[in-house]
Formats: sequence, C-alpha cells, structure tokens
Amino acid sequence: MSNGDRPQSESAAAEVPARGTGEAPPRWFCSPPIDIFDTEEGLVLRADLPGVTDDQLELQIEDNRLTLLGKVAPPVAEEAQMIYQEYRVGDFLRSFILSDDIDHDRITAKLSDGVLEVTLPRAATTKPRRIQIRTE
Amino acid sequence: MPVFRWGNALDAIRDLEREMDRWLRSVNFTVEGIRAGRAYPPVNIYELDDEFLLTAELPGARKEDIELTVSGGAVTLRGSRSNQGDVPEERFRRSERPRGVWERTFTLPARVLEDGLDAELMNGVLRLHLPKAPTQQPRRIPVVERSESPAKPETTGQEEQSQ
Repeated sequence: MSNGDRPQSESAAAEVPARGTGEAPPRWFCSPPIDIFDTEEGLVLRADLPGVTDDQLELQIEDNRLTLLGKVAPPVAEEAQMIYQEYRVGDFLRSFILSDDIDHDRITAKLSDGVLEVTLPRAATTKPRRIQIRTE
Repeated sequence: MPVFRWGNALDAIRDLEREMDRWLRSVNFTVEGIRAGRAYPPVNIYELDDEFLLTAELPGARKEDIELTVSGGAVTLRGSRSNQGDVPEERFRRSERPRGVWERTFTLPARVLEDGLDAELMNGVLRLHLPKAPTQQPRRIPVVERSESPAKPETTGQEEQSQ
C-alpha cells in the first residue's frame, strides 16, 4: 500500500487517524499500542503487532511521516465460527510525524514475536539553534 | 524566519501525555501492573469441526513466558510481560503497551478432551487447540416389550424402569 493519496493531516506526537484510503473494501484497522523512549543515539519506538510477519509489514517514510502498516492474516478458516470475541482481527495502521532531527536514512526496524522495534537515530548535526530576534 | 515552530508547541502536549501515562500507570498499579480497561491478553474463541480454538494476542511473549495449566474443567493462562527492559522510566515518552503480570482462566466446554490440549505461539499470537471429544452417536434406548402387560409404553425416549 504505497499509494500517495494519504490524508494530509497532522497532529501531536504525532498521530494521524488510521484510515484506509483508496482501498476497495472498507477495512478495519487497529491502532497498535506503542512505547517510545529516548536513547543516547535517538529514539526507539516499539509497537505491538501480534500476528504480523516481516513480509506483511510495511514501513514507509514520506516527508516527515512514518507510517506503519501490518497486515494480519485471518487466524482461522472462514467456516470457523467465532463463539467468543474480545478483540477484532484486523490490520494495524498508525502514523507518526518525525521531528526534524531524526536522520531518516539511518532508520532501522526489526520485527520479532509480534513486536516491531524502530530505531530512529538523531542526526549527528543537531546543535542548539539560535533563533534570531528581529527588531522592527 | 519563523520564530515559532509547531514542533515546539506540540512538545508541551507530549509532556502532558507523558505525565498522564505515568499517572495512569501508578493509578492502575493495583491491577497487577496491567492497565485496567480490558482484560489482558484479549482472547477470541472459535469453533471448528473437530476442535475449539482459543487465540490470544501476546505480542513479545516467548514460549517460556507463558504457563498453561488445565484442571477441573478450566484452563488457566498466566505469564508476565516486561517490555521496559533496562530502559529507565524517565526515558519513556510514551508507554501504551501493557506490562506486568497477567492471568486468565476459561471454563472448558464439556465436550473438550482435556488431555488433548495443545498450544502454539507464533508472531505474538497464542493458539490453544481444544479438541472436541469424539461425537457421541445418538444413543438408542431399548424398549422392552413385556408380553404380560397389555398396555405398551408409547413413548421411547424414557428410560426403561426395571421392575
């Protein structure tokens, strides 16, 4: 799913409402829970994506937006009847706005046991920036 | 040159979120370390021809993190989840993934072969197979005819009373 017609929104630290655009049937997306923590080198993001395999995971960076999409295969054959349900089986989708100091080219990711870990290194050249004050 | 950047304004929101996360975590500490709201792990149960299948979302879990026991017609799943590792608490900007000790118990349907339970863990999803006992053939209840009594019992279905 690398189509360019993504919703052009925004938001805090920084999520974009999960939405499937351009896909034929309306799909159900789960927003996976995440942890983000600081390290010496940058940030690490971990997301719970149970049921997702490497080949079914897409990580995409477009401008400053990191989007993760994990597809989940149905756990059972269709004729199986669900008799009790606590969670919905669906694909995982979540987007984040990366801050400018992340070095996009050095972002790496790995997936194991249904947990995605994305390493977001800070660019080496991040220095304190001086903001000029203009006087009229 | 812009003096304000949105990024800066949003940092405040992030700080607030972090505080909220921390606060929520301390509040829910009584619930065995897992945030309240929904049971962990979430479970679905399916019925197939020859078995029931229980699936549970356990991302990050390894085989050795999970303990399954069966007794008295109930199956218990328990384990613990630590996804913090050695990362100090104050380094977390977001902490949404559940952590802590968990336990869930399910009563087995009567038709399950307790000895045949079998579980597999793949990509953070546990699948517990609960094989059904071989279907019992409809049992025929014999009707005995007694030559002495003139009135024959009309109904089958009832158990024969001897004497």
